[in-house]
Amino acid sequence: MKATIFDIERNSYVDGPGIRTTVFFKGCNLRCVWCHNPESQSPKPQMMFYKNKCTGCGKCKERCPNNLEKCGLCGKCTLYCPHDAREICGKEYTVDEVIREILKDKAFYDNSDGGVTFSGGECMLQIDFLEEILKECKKNGIHTAVDTAGYVQFEYFERILRFTDLFLYDIKCFDSEKHKQYTGVGNESILENLKRLLTTKKSVWIRIPIIPMVNDTEEELQKIKSFLEACQSPKKIELLPYHAMGEHKYEAIGKEVQMFAVPSEEKMMRLKKIFS
Amino acid sequence: MNERIKKLTDVTLSGEMYPRKIAVEYDREDLFLSPVTMSAKRVCEYILAQEPMLREECAMTGHLIFDGTVEGDIFGRKGHLAFQQAKKAFYKSPLHNLVTLEWQHSTANFEEVLKDGISGIRRRINASKQFHAEDGEAIEFLGALSDFCDALIGWAHKCSHKAYALAQSTGTQKYRQNLLLLSESLKKVPEHPAESFYEAVLTVYLCFSFVPDSIGLADRYLYSYYQKDIQNGTLTKDMAKEYLQELFLMLQSHTSKKSPNFYRGGESHFAIGGYLPNGEDGFNELSRLMVEALMDLPTYIPQISLRWTKKTPSEVFRFMMDCERKDPNKRIAFVNDEPKIKAFTEYLGMPYEDAVNYTMVGCNEVAFPGGIYMGSAQENIVRSLARTLHERGDDLLSCSTFDDFYRIYEKELFADLGEILDYEDKFNLLRARDVNIVSSIFFKGCVERGKSVTQGGATVACSGIDLIGIPNVIDSLAVIKQFVYDEQLLSMRELLEALRDNWEGHEDLLTLIQKKGNFFGNDNEPSNEVARRFTGSLYHYLNDKRSMFGHKYLVGNLIGYHEHHKWFGEKTPATPDGRRSGEPFKFGLGQSGGHDREGLSALLNSVAKCDPHHILNGPTVTNVTIDAQLVVNDEHFEKTVKLFETYLQNGGIHFQLTYVSKEDLLRAQEDPDSYKHLRVRVSGFSDYFVLLNQALQDDVIARTTQTR
Repeated sequence: MKATIFDIERNSYVDGPGIRTTVFFKGCNLRCVWCHNPESQSPKPQMMFYKNKCTGCGKCKERCPNNLEKCGLCGKCTLYCPHDAREICGKEYTVDEVIREILKDKAFYDNSDGGVTFSGGECMLQIDFLEEILKECKKNGIHTAVDTAGYVQFEYFERILRFTDLFLYDIKCFDSEKHKQYTGVGNESILENLKRLLTTKKSVWIRIPIIPMVNDTEEELQKIKSFLEACQSPKKIELLPYHAMGEHKYEAIGKEVQMFAVPSEEKMMRLKKIFS
Repeated sequence: MNERIKKLTDVTLSGEMYPRKIAVEYDREDLFLSPVTMSAKRVCEYILAQEPMLREECAMTGHLIFDGTVEGDIFGRKGHLAFQQAKKAFYKSPLHNLVTLEWQHSTANFEEVLKDGISGIRRRINASKQFHAEDGEAIEFLGALSDFCDALIGWAHKCSHKAYALAQSTGTQKYRQNLLLLSESLKKVPEHPAESFYEAVLTVYLCFSFVPDSIGLADRYLYSYYQKDIQNGTLTKDMAKEYLQELFLMLQSHTSKKSPNFYRGGESHFAIGGYLPNGEDGFNELSRLMVEALMDLPTYIPQISLRWTKKTPSEVFRFMMDCERKDPNKRIAFVNDEPKIKAFTEYLGMPYEDAVNYTMVGCNEVAFPGGIYMGSAQENIVRSLARTLHERGDDLLSCSTFDDFYRIYEKELFADLGEILDYEDKFNLLRARDVNIVSSIFFKGCVERGKSVTQGGATVACSGIDLIGIPNVIDSLAVIKQFVYDEQLLSMRELLEALRDNWEGHEDLLTLIQKKGNFFGNDNEPSNEVARRFTGSLYHYLNDKRSMFGHKYLVGNLIGYHEHHKWFGEKTPATPDGRRSGEPFKFGLGQSGGHDREGLSALLNSVAKCDPHHILNGPTVTNVTIDAQLVVNDEHFEKTVKLFETYLQNGGIHFQLTYVSKEDLLRAQEDPDSYKHLRVRVSGFSDYFVLLNQALQDDVIARTTQTR
């Protein structure tokens, strides 16, 4: 069994408690217009080309079996580009390969109450693999977190509940129409899944990306707050400010980027107060 | 900080507390005396001719500096002619692109001086005179030591008189009390044993000038005095802190403001915490007070290392990391007792009770109380690899496995190590041409053996070598193993041609190696294995080697204040790690210069796993540059604390941190005026970035800034 993964990031401080390794699965069923990992959306490996790094030296073309006209993802061009202008995003991994990477930092997890976080993309879309790897992690005594947008059937949650210590659950915006406008899908099932997940008494951290002009109003966040209060309260609510660091990656995969303003620190402080 | 210490800090940082050296006109007929007797006579005259550095704010005095006309301290070795000659010839000029000469480091046996006083040492000298009655040389040397003891006590009395006189003229009641106490105390110490915390600190203050390097394990030898005085109510924590601050200010004043070393913590360094002889962790209330006292002072010298043990409470480690992140002058580093003590007991063969008494000195060297650390010169460890590749090509072409290749390389490595050790002995012989009178009474063994410290007098002595370019060697070996043998992406002939052509015309190969290479610092097993094999070779060669004094060698990897990594690099041809001919080497262990791409935990795992034999047991540094965000944000800081604690639990031997981005450093090079306050950890010491020479600046820039 294999999964397509586009990054395994060790020593992550931002995806749950303690020191963690975050495994980024490739493929997502949402299309959030602010997504900072646009390369995570397609489920398949893909070539990324950073035009601004390219000097036109032609080393890639020399090595490409198809003269750069068609990409078979062989990766030769990436190995010989002296300027890191080309890379292949996404690689297939077996459960064993991923576990080996994860275990390298076990001592760090153990000492910091950290662990591993499966993220994406939407890691739940590769549920068979996810279930297996979570089991393996638990066998090795590693704390597990699943970072999800929740747009899957609830049965998927049920399959992994036993092996997951923490869910990082995104709420993008409360109004379903707006949700659809900015992510491509309505949020009814997302909120329903969250409600059901919270009744399981599993630890859940809610993560809300703050996107100016989309969901950065007190009114919007109040609605989310009321919804959460009506459910079993989650353990923690994190507001994550929009950042523009994914911009260059849109160009690299040949997609149009939509830019937003970065919320000010004062605004973030004000919005955080709503939940404190 | 109270008003008194504030005033003393101001005059210290303005350079006014650097003792003025008073020249002495020596009797030319001294030249008819034997060298030892003449030295003793002149050094005593010099000491007694100096004027105590004393201001009305002082509660301590007795600090002095030797001017080079007489034999002085053991660290700078001013007035030691043979050493000065050797320094001139070899310190900044590598020999055969292989070896250089370094200072020696040491710490006095302060514990003994506190317990017995100089009078106790004099009794031992007299006993030794009887023992060596038949040995004219020993008798003469011991006579010189007796004279020095008299001069030292005379100096204390002179200081006492001056304090009394100043007390009469000061208008401030508190200052007057301090000066009268000082005057009274100097009639007693250091001649007689110290009985209070104040007397103990004063003894160290006054005696430091004769072995002016490290105050050693002060949180141990001062602790009983501290506890007793706190319990009997004669001392408060605040008073103790003041005394410690005055001691630290003297350490800063020992370097002239005219010297760039004024800003370098490596001029005086000591350790706190660590294992006690009973196997418990030694971090105590006084250790914490010492750190707090130093952190209050905006000084550069001394610097402190926490000796971490598996029993160090997490709260203590966090406290030290918190002080470290808040210290703008970067005076705190961390060293791990677990591999150190193991190396000292198993490799050096020291008893556990002695091994646990080590302290950190200089940049990052090791010394034991009353012991000397000789050598630690910077040596070129890449030369043997370059010779293998550039001169043994025919032999290499017939190698069918990496093991075959390694056997040839290892012979060259051992040949260079042999040459290095031969030169170390020669340097030690040069050191031994000078007799040292002012320091010898503070070292274990010199009195009993009737011999000067560098002539085989010191019973506790180590010799060391610093191997510069270890990251280049490990990466080069890993590249050869991976590309030529394991993955067979190129032939040995192609590699040798590329190296011979200095990569010119082989740019594709260079790119491929840079991208696909299993470089050190990424916690991948192939490079970790090569690192272990290399450190294993060092261990196997050095394990049965002894210096001319019978010591085993401690091995490190640090650079001093100079540019050995550049000097060696300039004369070393291209290497398989992608280094071009003439480019500088890397030193330290965490400095993979952009080759480490997997984040901090991977880098720290590589470092912690690379030396199972604990051969890198001497002045080993791991400089880690991290994004300030990893410590500024409190939540991230807590994780960073746990990260480095785990690294130590995993066996990492040392680390010190710099928080700065590459961009900032490049801007600082272009616009030094705007960045004159930017401080960085360089080798084992911290300094202002803009004051570093170009090669050291470039090295700091080349390090990877870890953002996670």
